[in-house]
Amino acid sequence: MATTSHSNPEPVRDDANPTPPSTAPRQQAGSMLPNQPSTPDVVVTTAPPYTPPAAQQAVATVLNVDDASRANALSNMQYVVDVADSVVCVANDLHERILEEIASYNGRTMPDAQKALMRALTDDELLLRQYAHALYANAATFVIHDLAAPQHRLMALTTEAAEKIRHIGVISEVTGLVGGILLLVGSIARGQFSQVGAALEKIQGHNAALKTLKPGLPAKT
Amino acid sequence: MARRVLVLVGLLVAGCASTGQVSLGEVREFADASAKLGGYAELSRRYRDTYERELPYLSPQAERVARDTDARRRAVFDDFVAIQKTLVLYMQTLSLLAGDGRYDLSGRIDDLAGGLNAMTDSGLKQRHVAAYAGMTRLLTRVITSRYQNRSVDTMVRDGNADVQTLIDAMIVLTRIYEKANENEQKTVLGVFNAEIPMANRNADRMLVTLAKVHLQNKTAEYKLIDRRYKLAQQGLTKVALGHQKMRDNMDQLSSAETRHILAGYVSDLNLIRSALSGE
Repeated sequence: MATTSHSNPEPVRDDANPTPPSTAPRQQAGSMLPNQPSTPDVVVTTAPPYTPPAAQQAVATVLNVDDASRANALSNMQYVVDVADSVVCVANDLHERILEEIASYNGRTMPDAQKALMRALTDDELLLRQYAHALYANAATFVIHDLAAPQHRLMALTTEAAEKIRHIGVISEVTGLVGGILLLVGSIARGQFSQVGAALEKIQGHNAALKTLKPGLPAKT
Repeated sequence: MARRVLVLVGLLVAGCASTGQVSLGEVREFADASAKLGGYAELSRRYRDTYERELPYLSPQAERVARDTDARRRAVFDDFVAIQKTLVLYMQTLSLLAGDGRYDLSGRIDDLAGGLNAMTDSGLKQRHVAAYAGMTRLLTRVITSRYQNRSVDTMVRDGNADVQTLIDAMIVLTRIYEKANENEQKTVLGVFNAEIPMANRNADRMLVTLAKVHLQNKTAEYKLIDRRYKLAQQGLTKVALGHQKMRDNMDQLSSAETRHILAGYVSDLNLIRSALSGE
């Protein structure tokens, strides 16, 4: 794992790197397995291309501040994901070696000492996987970096649209309310009392609908 | 006076009939399908709960690292979900704004006409006719298809860049969830794959059988969940492409080609949604 931290660029090391393991994977045990590549080789060969800060700055000049900052965050995110992938590769490789070693016994009972060794190596593999998890978690936090502004803008736009919808609703209900009042007044004036009940119902309905359309309430669906 | 009022009502209703045929059906269906697309929230929760699922398989040392990562996952979970909530609210509101009945006030105008009819022989008409005239001015200003088109247009145009940013973030996060899930899968299944072949004494037989059953179940669980990451990513990509398409074709939303393309996205999104919910 120490090699992983060496391969990290300065800008992401503090945030992205978990504390190196206090117990490194057992090199002496690993060396007993045939053809196991050394950890530094695996990390170096799978390391991602790194965009120099100068190039990132060049891109930033043609973008606004938000975009530049976000592009930088996403670039860091991609770097951390690539490092995590490298750690997973090392763990996968270790796992393969463990399985090969176990398979080489071909059904014969493995000595307890050898079993203990295999379990210790499995623990190392799982520890590596946890470091990869830690890196993925860090990468994920880069993704939400600088997302507050786009979210606020979209919420403002949504609120504005909801207000338009509410406004239309109010006009619609007021129109209906006026119709109901006219019907009520007209019915009384003409002595058509049979229509009074219907008119009152209409007025009540539109009035209730108007109350639900007060500003600040969610848009009527 | 009463006759004049009736003529005005007739003109108004006729005016509504000629301008009220707003055709934003595809926009509405696309926004609906986008708002209902599942997957992301569920996969976010699954990612948040990684530690709980892995815990039985971890050594004390690995568990310490895992606990720290768990705290960090939980600290940002609300932020991950907030992205989706913003987008869903946006899509739901867009759907309402592009709604069919939203600008159709003909029912209300019928009410108004009915009320005015009842007034024709009364002595109170002057005051209410004045109210009616004010209402007419208000209505004619609002109930036009142009107003609706303009509102939808503004929302899609002004929102597109931020919609794309948020969907992009959701796709990237879903990819990270997928990688974490793959790592978790190798953690869980890896323990069994190493332990089962080593346990070949007679005394281990029952234990090995139980372990194999558990391994089978876990393998099936991961196989099912694997597919969901891809489906969620495909769905989000369709939402991003569909919104961009609307943005690019706001001026020709009613053209057959644009409607056909949007209908295609809606159909794809519905297929993805039923694939996500059918498992």
